[in-house]
Amino acid sequence: MAFRDERRPFSFYLLATGFALYVLFLYGPTITITVLSFQGPDGGLTFPMNGTSTHWFANLFERQAVGDFEGSIRRSLILGLMVMVLTVTISIAAGLAYRKGFRGETPLFYLSMASLIIPSILVSLGIGLMFQLIGLHPTWYGSALGAQLTWTLPFGLLIMFAVFNRFNPSYEEAGRDLGATAWQNLRHVVLPIIAPSVFGVALFGFTLSYDEFPRTLMTGGTFNTLPLEIMAMTTSVTTPVLYALGTVTTGISLTVIIVCLGTAFVIQRRRAARGSDAGRGV
Amino acid sequence: MSAEAVAARPWRRKLVPYFQAGPLTLVLALFLIFPIVTIVIVSFFDYNSVQIIPAFILDNYRDVLFSKVTWQTYLNTFGYVIVVWAITLFIGFWIAYFLVFHIRTNTIRIACFLLTTIPFWTSNIIRMISWIPLLGRNGLVNALLLHAGVTGHPLEFLLYSPFSVVVAFVHLNTFFMIVPISNTMARIDKSLIEAARDANASGWQILTNVVIPLSKTGIAIGSIFIFTVVMGDFATVNVMSGGQSASVGLMMRNEMSELQYPAAAANAVVLLVIMLLIVSAIVRLVDIRKEL
Amino acid sequence: MKIDHGLPGKGKAYARRAGSVSRRGLLKGGAAIAGAAIGSGAISGFPTIWAQNIKDVTLRQFGTGTSDLNEIATKVKEDLGFTLQLGVLDTDAVMQRAATQPDSYDIADIEYFSTKKVYPTGVMQPIEVKKIKLFDKIVPIFITGKLTPESKIAQGTAPHTVEFVEGKDSKKFAKAPTEWATLVPTIYNADTLGIRPDLVGRPIKNWKDLVDPAFKGKAAILNIPGIGIMDAAMVCESLGEIKYGDKGNMTKEEIDKTLGKLTEFKKAGQFRAFWKDFTESVNLMASGEVVIQSMWSPAVAAVRSKGIPCIYQPLEEGYRAWGSGLGLAAHLNGLQLDAAYEYLNWYLSGWVGGFLNRQGYYSAMLDTAKQNMSADEWGFWMEGKPAQGDILSPQGKVMEKAGAVRDGGSFYERMGHVVCWNSTMDEDRYMVQKWNEFIAA
Repeated sequence: MAFRDERRPFSFYLLATGFALYVLFLYGPTITITVLSFQGPDGGLTFPMNGTSTHWFANLFERQAVGDFEGSIRRSLILGLMVMVLTVTISIAAGLAYRKGFRGETPLFYLSMASLIIPSILVSLGIGLMFQLIGLHPTWYGSALGAQLTWTLPFGLLIMFAVFNRFNPSYEEAGRDLGATAWQNLRHVVLPIIAPSVFGVALFGFTLSYDEFPRTLMTGGTFNTLPLEIMAMTTSVTTPVLYALGTVTTGISLTVIIVCLGTAFVIQRRRAARGSDAGRGV
Repeated sequence: MSAEAVAARPWRRKLVPYFQAGPLTLVLALFLIFPIVTIVIVSFFDYNSVQIIPAFILDNYRDVLFSKVTWQTYLNTFGYVIVVWAITLFIGFWIAYFLVFHIRTNTIRIACFLLTTIPFWTSNIIRMISWIPLLGRNGLVNALLLHAGVTGHPLEFLLYSPFSVVVAFVHLNTFFMIVPISNTMARIDKSLIEAARDANASGWQILTNVVIPLSKTGIAIGSIFIFTVVMGDFATVNVMSGGQSASVGLMMRNEMSELQYPAAAANAVVLLVIMLLIVSAIVRLVDIRKEL
Repeated sequence: MKIDHGLPGKGKAYARRAGSVSRRGLLKGGAAIAGAAIGSGAISGFPTIWAQNIKDVTLRQFGTGTSDLNEIATKVKEDLGFTLQLGVLDTDAVMQRAATQPDSYDIADIEYFSTKKVYPTGVMQPIEVKKIKLFDKIVPIFITGKLTPESKIAQGTAPHTVEFVEGKDSKKFAKAPTEWATLVPTIYNADTLGIRPDLVGRPIKNWKDLVDPAFKGKAAILNIPGIGIMDAAMVCESLGEIKYGDKGNMTKEEIDKTLGKLTEFKKAGQFRAFWKDFTESVNLMASGEVVIQSMWSPAVAAVRSKGIPCIYQPLEEGYRAWGSGLGLAAHLNGLQLDAAYEYLNWYLSGWVGGFLNRQGYYSAMLDTAKQNMSADEWGFWMEGKPAQGDILSPQGKVMEKAGAVRDGGSFYERMGHVVCWNSTMDEDRYMVQKWNEFIAA
């Protein structure tokens, strides 16, 4: 057991090695993608390397023979943002509802959990068929949005449960004692305290949406989201431009994470410097 | 505030949670309940090679339930579930243990977590293609093994085999085991462990008598995740087995791509029933909601 | 259900445009004015009435990556002025969308064997043959089923069997040419096995070589039921295991036997993988996972362009062929429909034909394609002659060095040896079920 003793026990080194191996395993595909994205202009999607170049990164910004990176990335970003905003709002609201309790909370809880465990392909099939039978058009901003929400909302709700179960109600009581309305209490007491988790839900919602394809498969309508477009492009693109896209997204997400972490770190230090701002402005 | 408004408050306050839970209920009703009802309805429809025909027939269920292939496929899928579950549980438990009990500062812990999430930001489909150059006959792993003299000829089973399917599942899903387990572990009161140690319990005894029982909820949640993801998967099995292995999801996907929606729907209903039975069994063992 | 797409131009008067004449001038087939008159006559009753607002028209086309190329959309914008939006899907998904989401597209780029399934659902409208000016110059395979008058008609869903419907509102395929076509044929090819000559170690002559134990774990077959079953049948026939009445329209018994045989090979570990899309087949071959497999012509070219030897091996039993064309969605009308006809006519006018021919496919309209190719290109791709200079891809990359000869030779040698087409059988539902079982076995 590690805490208190200053010297690391043997088990630490054993587990640390295990963790390192796991991380290496996780990064296997990432490393392969990164290496292969530097294929020469005549290279393919597999080894052997056919020279090295940055050709495919430049190619990424040119028009492809088939498919449309630009449009699909734009759609996926917009969809991701919509899913993010809706997931955050709806799950916070539901989380608050569960704090107060309401009739039908247990069925709703089980329904949410069912939503989480029902295979994506089933949801996709169901929504696709439903739209077809009613005669509605599936669209990426309509049916696909709904399909993705059935996946992100239960996650959001679970996180909210975890947050509110540990939330100390005395903060709100203090707020109420100071004469805050319910809204003010929410805005100036509750939200600032749960902000890090909300941020987590937001990030989670966006990521899940951005890379989602089984649920979008039959619900996307005329225009493809990025994962669907990539999938379609694999029917005819044999060049490492796909890997270049992978390398670039990994790079961007790394940057985003570092920036977010840095910002969070700075905010935390500022807050620490002047005390918690929870309840300020009441 | 007017007297009226104050008088209206208790009544309004009672309604507030309904408004708050309303959007969630609405989304789930529109995009989960209705679609599932549609699936159930369509599963009784007839079809030919071009159209689905509204009808009430039991043929689709007969085709699903009385086909040897269906049961083989379920067996095969359960096989994947069990193997993947065992491996991800083992890895997930120890990594969670390491992150919770061995890492001393929160910052490093978060950094470690993020380190394990970054690969998932690359499109899953692109990652899938990259398994070929990684595990293939002339792939990186084989090149390394040959170079190190571990083997004299490229290992064929690394790709397009049940092995590679399991590897990809473990790669994709271990994270879902780590998060809930470490979440419950983090809430274990450290003084319990101190007390156990003061009572001269060995490390193993502490593990089996304190840590594992108290991590039960996390293990259950993680297990449900693994179970549902592997049961419903079609893409991973297809790509990693080179299209040669079957899973329930893939069977449905194949039917869908040939426009045999009623057959896929019947399959979906069977799958849904089996999954709900198993999950409710797990939930009966551990009350998830209470321990979140 | 008819959906109004809210075209900006709808309802406005169609005004005569001088520009239309020069657009028409592109059509090298001649008879431009008269053709144009026919082309739009049915809509307004007046000849050659083209509106400025055709530029505002957007046509949504979807199909596989084989022919839904962005270069074509750019050229459409240049030549015709309107916008062509392309969506790319895999073969199965194309059929799925065509049949189930008819409002999500205006023009469907689909294969003939899919048409047999899709057209009867009523999601498409017939094409008026007289509005397609060069229709009578289309390769006869699509009209009569015979490449030359002496040719034998191949088995399977031969394009001519689903090319025409009996009338404007009929969903029944006609036995002989009529005035109403399901698709305007665009591209087609003869498929065979691709091999890695450096790794197979012996000459490959027959379809049965795919299941030769020497290639155990190094063979692949494609997993699209309507296409895969034909490759499987070619193999079984070549082995002498099964005699088919008509392998393009198997009986249940023949389906069972064929897939039973294939399952045996699968269980014995003959196959390394089953592939579903073009790229997979390229990766399998280029990475050396597989040395012999069903393959498509441009996939062979893609492997070769990476400096890896690959041959599209002609086999004694002949080729399995496929063809696709463009069809009109049922909801198209008015100006959008005019634009669609304009586009179909343009498609056959040569530029696309040359473009497709230079990738190893064949254009359904060879006369105009020829005008868009150099003599050397035509000689190499169509006549089976050795290349005089380097053969370039449409993107300008060297595909073949000078002196190379196309695998399988000339157009007539290749298309003349087609013995079957990709197929949708009468027992299609049963076949797909059995195929899925074979994949799951």
